[in-house]
Amino acid sequence: MSSDRFLAHTAIGDFLEGLVQTGYTVYCPQKEPGVRQSVIFAPWQKGLPISLEKATVAPKHLVLPQSEVLFRYSKHKESAEPAKQSLTLDANEIFTPTLLFASRPCDARGFAILDRPFLQGLFRDPYYARRREALCVVSLTCPSGCATCFCHWTGAGPSSPEGSDILMTEIAEGFVLQGITDKGKELLLASKLPEAGEKSQEATKARKAAWQSLSPVQDLSTAPQKLAEIFADQAFWSQATQACLACGACTYLCPTCYCFNITDESLDGENEQGVRLRSWDTCMAKQFTEEASGHNPRPDKAQRMRNRISHKFSSYPENWGSFSCSGCGRCVTHCPVGLDIREIVLKAIHAKTAQQNEKETS
Amino acid sequence: MPALANNELRIVGFLCNWCSYGGADTAGVARASQPTDLRIIRVPCSGRVDPLFVLKALLNGADGVLVSGCHPRDCHYGTGNFYARRRLEVLKRFLPILGIDPARFSYTWVSASEGQRWQKVVSRFTEEIHALGPAPRFEAVEPLAKACSWTQESKGPVSVISPELLEQLKKAIADKLPELDCVLGWQEGRDLLHSVPLFIRSEDDLTKLRCDATCHNNLVRYLPDLKGQKVGIIVRSCEARSVVQLLQEGLISREELVVFALPCQGLLDLPRLEEALGRYQRLEDLTLTETTLRLRVDGQERVFQTADFRQSRCEQCPGELPAIADQSFGDFSGQTASQTLPPELAFLDSLNLQERMGFWRACMERCILCHACRNSCPMCVCRDQCIAESREPHWQSAEASVKEKFFFQIIHALHLAGRCTGCGECQANCPVGLPIFALRAHLNRIVSELFDGYQAGCDPKAVPPLLTYSQEEAHIHERSWE
Amino acid sequence: MADIAKTSPRMLKGLAPRPMPSGNPYLPQTARVLDVIRETATIKTLRVVLEGEDAMQRFHFEPGQVAQLSVFGVGEATFVINSPPSQKDYLQFSIMEVGEVTRALHRLTAGELIGVRAPLGNFFPYADWLGKNIVLIGGGIGMAPVRTIMLHLLERASDYGQISLLYGARTPKDMSYQYELADWLKHKDLACCLCVDKADSDWPHKVGMVPEVLKELAPSPQNSLAVLCGPPIMIKYTVETLLNLGFAEENIVTTLERRMKCGIGICGRCNVGSRYVCTDGPVFTCREVRAFL
Repeated sequence: MSSDRFLAHTAIGDFLEGLVQTGYTVYCPQKEPGVRQSVIFAPWQKGLPISLEKATVAPKHLVLPQSEVLFRYSKHKESAEPAKQSLTLDANEIFTPTLLFASRPCDARGFAILDRPFLQGLFRDPYYARRREALCVVSLTCPSGCATCFCHWTGAGPSSPEGSDILMTEIAEGFVLQGITDKGKELLLASKLPEAGEKSQEATKARKAAWQSLSPVQDLSTAPQKLAEIFADQAFWSQATQACLACGACTYLCPTCYCFNITDESLDGENEQGVRLRSWDTCMAKQFTEEASGHNPRPDKAQRMRNRISHKFSSYPENWGSFSCSGCGRCVTHCPVGLDIREIVLKAIHAKTAQQNEKETS
Repeated sequence: MPALANNELRIVGFLCNWCSYGGADTAGVARASQPTDLRIIRVPCSGRVDPLFVLKALLNGADGVLVSGCHPRDCHYGTGNFYARRRLEVLKRFLPILGIDPARFSYTWVSASEGQRWQKVVSRFTEEIHALGPAPRFEAVEPLAKACSWTQESKGPVSVISPELLEQLKKAIADKLPELDCVLGWQEGRDLLHSVPLFIRSEDDLTKLRCDATCHNNLVRYLPDLKGQKVGIIVRSCEARSVVQLLQEGLISREELVVFALPCQGLLDLPRLEEALGRYQRLEDLTLTETTLRLRVDGQERVFQTADFRQSRCEQCPGELPAIADQSFGDFSGQTASQTLPPELAFLDSLNLQERMGFWRACMERCILCHACRNSCPMCVCRDQCIAESREPHWQSAEASVKEKFFFQIIHALHLAGRCTGCGECQANCPVGLPIFALRAHLNRIVSELFDGYQAGCDPKAVPPLLTYSQEEAHIHERSWE
Repeated sequence: MADIAKTSPRMLKGLAPRPMPSGNPYLPQTARVLDVIRETATIKTLRVVLEGEDAMQRFHFEPGQVAQLSVFGVGEATFVINSPPSQKDYLQFSIMEVGEVTRALHRLTAGELIGVRAPLGNFFPYADWLGKNIVLIGGGIGMAPVRTIMLHLLERASDYGQISLLYGARTPKDMSYQYELADWLKHKDLACCLCVDKADSDWPHKVGMVPEVLKELAPSPQNSLAVLCGPPIMIKYTVETLLNLGFAEENIVTTLERRMKCGIGICGRCNVGSRYVCTDGPVFTCREVRAFL
């Protein structure tokens, strides 16, 4: 039996309310007023309007919060021997089921990209793992591309299922919801939504139309090798980054950037009680790799940009076999000085290596 | 005194070691009764009290903060309290925009011999704080998600630089280029509507130059990093003020700088324009006149009135170009001063204290601490040494709580007191559209009120008001403790 | 893990089993400071004992592996375990005071508690070196990792050819492990040479920078392998000298130091290209990391 279900535009509120009833915290895109309108994934409550626009900030905070407590520490004096200290460490272990509604395929693909280093490396990250297990991702397929996104260059597209549990596609009166994973299928089968029936074909048509509307694909398959070749080309990287402000907008908005910092924060000013925090960090900041001695392996923004681009298009692919970029384009849209990752990667692909330069001059 | 047992509040006192700390001691020796709410922190001088000390205390649970130093002219170090007076008065007037009752903060002067005066000050201040009750906690206030319109009735046109003028400018730059390391300008970015900074190092780079109303980046941001190089820069009124401010502070060197000035009638507010355009794939054509913007987007013609999409900061432009240009191009007579209140600030003015705190609380929930505001600010010159990220001293926790985010915004704003030239880049570059320019605009308003209409970056010879003092302040008056 | 192994089999060869208390790699074991030894003006050596019954007996590591030491409330920093694995009474770390965490570590006294996340990283592949001559070179605080592999090799000296040590420091006062130097000098299986950049009058050993003294010693590259640890600038010039002496890049082994936070290959700080110093390192051959030195 197909698990495809139909969700009418008018039934979204009831559907979400039902999910809340079953114990999910539901995150939806919500429009926030401001000097620039932003769309933010925030907890949904009955009656709140939702937006179906692509969110300004990727929903990675659901698996990697902006900051989280790894553990609390507290020091005590042992009553039997007051001179002797003892120590308690408490790790946070409570994670609630969360449903992400109306993320985009690029957001969902971000989760798949994060899963590899966090879950499939030498060590499994327990905090990420629990949040990820508790997360159900319902993605809205895109009806078209936009001026800054390029998912189809990175091996995905407007209806890619990677990272989603359910894909929803907008048709005339509502959405067709298609279960991708077992988790998604079960959720749909357990729901009271009507079967999609013939509407599924309408959804397929809508998805095909979306693919056809995209701009021509650029071939990035040689990027890993080319980036490795021009790794030492200081002039290339300096040229590409001279306008960079070294802020963290690109990395914090990105669904696939996962660099973090770990710091201790005293809660009593005397280090008897405190927390160890993990918080978002950005590889574009100088302090990121600066050692206590003052030595810094990436002292200039050129080297930091090289690391960021290489990680996404060369070293992550080398380790994990896929780009760590889902092509969402947020870094392009929101870079204060309009740096365009697409342009840098394409330039790198077409850059001449030192050897080629030498050949030409000789 | 009212019986304070069981309902003590938390009041923090920063007391100068040379006077008030002794004054408190004198009061104690004389067995003058004093309320016990005050927690005293001894400082070497009231001039040592960074306004951020006060705000950190207020954000972290203090119900009141009192700073007490030596009487003016009695400073142990000569002038510390003169500087303190200016800073602390600015701080006191800054608090309301954050939603903090200014009555929760006071500063005064008590000498070591004035035990009685100390008793009066501390008793009075404690009474006042008790009358206010416990301070609302920022992290506990109800977020106020008030929808508000930021658009402002616009009068002016936007800048269009004629092809002849652009050629003239290019020619002048080409002539100068051999003696310069680079010239800062703008070029077309990802599409015709978006411009990005251009570093001109060759004639080839120069062909990309673009200087119209889409060019919003304040290029002055790059100047401190280029110290030691000879740099040319294209400025309009707002960039020129930033240049002047950095020169006033000695952060860049005039000898290393060649300034090419252009007239400006106003810039386009791209985020609002993008919102009006909606999602598009291809921008095929753009024609910009002073009054109309014509775009062809995904095969469709779209026409906008530029007046509807003029940046609100342009409505506050002082107009006149500060005397800084080495070469000027075009006609500057169209630049008129306009002094309306920024819409963000007018909106905050319309709220009460509680609403303001709730408003900022809601804003901070979506701040991601990307620091685009700070890093695009031409006046934020500490770069990689920002105290927001330092561990020693440990000013801020890495916790991404609304309180810590708000404190970061306060650090940025307060470090711009008397320095902000109003370019609005902080706000323009915020990915989530936080109206943080309001904090700076309010500070600019305070500085203007206190220091005879001073505006940052208008006069290369002026000393910024918080870097100097007068023995008698015309607009700062000592409060009474009677 | 399978995926990493596919793409970089060389780096993960023979990883030691890593204890993970309660399955959470971020949660440190607690350890109590046993002893603090002042080595030089800026270096102290801490000996610590893991808390809990049998904790020390159950703790296994290989020479070259590192630990993240925590001073709670201040933070973590990375240090090589410089006692040999056979030392089951304590773990030893030598710490130069340079920043917030190392300052806090220097303030510790015997009996205080710290956190230890260990063992992390790879180790010196000593099993591949059987029968070879080993040239150990340590500069300044870089002697710490050299100490652990040296003591480990000396315990099984009969399996190797000539083991020699060149240990250099700025001045005689900057030499750590002074209380052991006499033993090293007269050790029957070790050819030990000490040098300082600047000597006082009663210094009986060599004077000169490590690369210069190495040139003078001119160890033969035949059937030999060099292990090299020290400050970046020393590594750079010593590698040059070794290459000039005829050592092949794959026969020069060094350790890389990078700022680390997670220590488990995720946080993104310590990578050199696609390799993570915390999981693929800190031990690399010169061939692997030449571009990053």
